[in-house]
Amino acid sequence: MHRLYPQKLVTVITTDVLEDRLVALMRRCGASGYTLLRARGAGAEGLQSGNLDVDTNLLLKVILPTERLTGLLDELDALIGTGYHLTVFVADVAVLGHEKFERPMLA
Amino acid sequence: MSAFSNLLIPAVLFFALGFIARLIKSDLRFPPDLAKILSIYLLVSIGLHGGVELARADLGEALAAVFWAFALGLLLPVIGYGLLLATRRVDSLDAAAIAAHYGSVSAGTFLTAIAFLGSQGVDYERYPLIMLAVMESPAIVVGLLLATWSRGRLAAADPERVAARTERGNGGMAEILREAFTNGSVVLLVGSMLIGAIANPKAMESLHPFTTDIFMGMLCLFLLEMGMEAARRFGDFRRVGLVLGGFGVVMPLLGGLIGVMIGHSILGFGVGGTTLVAVLGASASYIAVPPAMRLAVPEANPSFYLTLSLGVTFPFNVVVGIPVYYHLALLMAGGT
Repeated sequence: MHRLYPQKLVTVITTDVLEDRLVALMRRCGASGYTLLRARGAGAEGLQSGNLDVDTNLLLKVILPTERLTGLLDELDALIGTGYHLTVFVADVAVLGHEKFERPMLA
Repeated sequence: MSAFSNLLIPAVLFFALGFIARLIKSDLRFPPDLAKILSIYLLVSIGLHGGVELARADLGEALAAVFWAFALGLLLPVIGYGLLLATRRVDSLDAAAIAAHYGSVSAGTFLTAIAFLGSQGVDYERYPLIMLAVMESPAIVVGLLLATWSRGRLAAADPERVAARTERGNGGMAEILREAFTNGSVVLLVGSMLIGAIANPKAMESLHPFTTDIFMGMLCLFLLEMGMEAARRFGDFRRVGLVLGGFGVVMPLLGGLIGVMIGHSILGFGVGGTTLVAVLGASASYIAVPPAMRLAVPEANPSFYLTLSLGVTFPFNVVVGIPVYYHLALLMAGGT
């Protein structure tokens, strides 16, 4: 039987132009890594067809220990406060090898 | 000459094909990133082409063109902002973001105009090409200044709503300016022009198939994709409404008129060059400006500026605008 450890999975969907800023933010909040996909979709800001730079969304997933979650959510909240449209949701996940998620990201 | 001769250029017909393909809900779809690849090709090849010609250009005339490109880029967003506020359909931050698009330029429209001039057998000066490169950025700066000013006014009217924003700002003006002037399409266009200007002419000849022979075919593919993109945006038209949609037609006509005056009366270009300056004045950016506005003016709704620039103004210019500006240029040339 594998040993599973509880962690938080944070998913962010927003415009592609925010990539650099989000990655820097993840780093600051002590995430051990992240996974990023280009995404298409539609919402309050209209269609995001993925054909042009401005028209592309990103879907970013990051897993981190519960105690680092609040800091990350505060920063994301601040971004939303400045007017950006972010879809953010958090899920409980169980991970293998939790040490991996506690090491900081290499530059 | 038929007023609709513009419609019978392959590039414009492909634009129509793309538009129709979306309207009849065809499953035609370009692979991801092809539009981006095509626009990289178009910028590189037009840059190389122009650079070769500009190496022989007169420095004084080139500087005058650069100066007036700046002036157009600074003036048009201010006019657009005033017009948009007068419609009372958008708030001032949306107006600032939309206005920035109309001060900047669309390389796709510019290239279609070159294809149009080619089909009419009209020669043109190469200076508008430098103007194309110059005009990508100043409007972004004006748009940001207008947005900052609007934010200040909104804050004065309703302190609570904007308080959270102003204390943090939006990434710093210096950073945004750097991004405006190092935008990928500006770097590509200016860089290719420099390469074209300084490269050994003999060596440049080996690029002839790349820069010239396949150019119109690539433009056709690009416009096919842009036709689909425009039709997609056109579907958002109801969000925008008739009055704002009207702005997407009036603003290019106004910009085109100002462009004709600058091209003909001030820069002294022929009919071809004047038409191209008019197109620069008339066209709205959909490559460089939208990401900049998204980053710097997050409060503005992108579906407004994308629908207007891509769904209304771009098709209008390609189908109606370019021949209109050409005839205006003819009229001015005939009048003196």
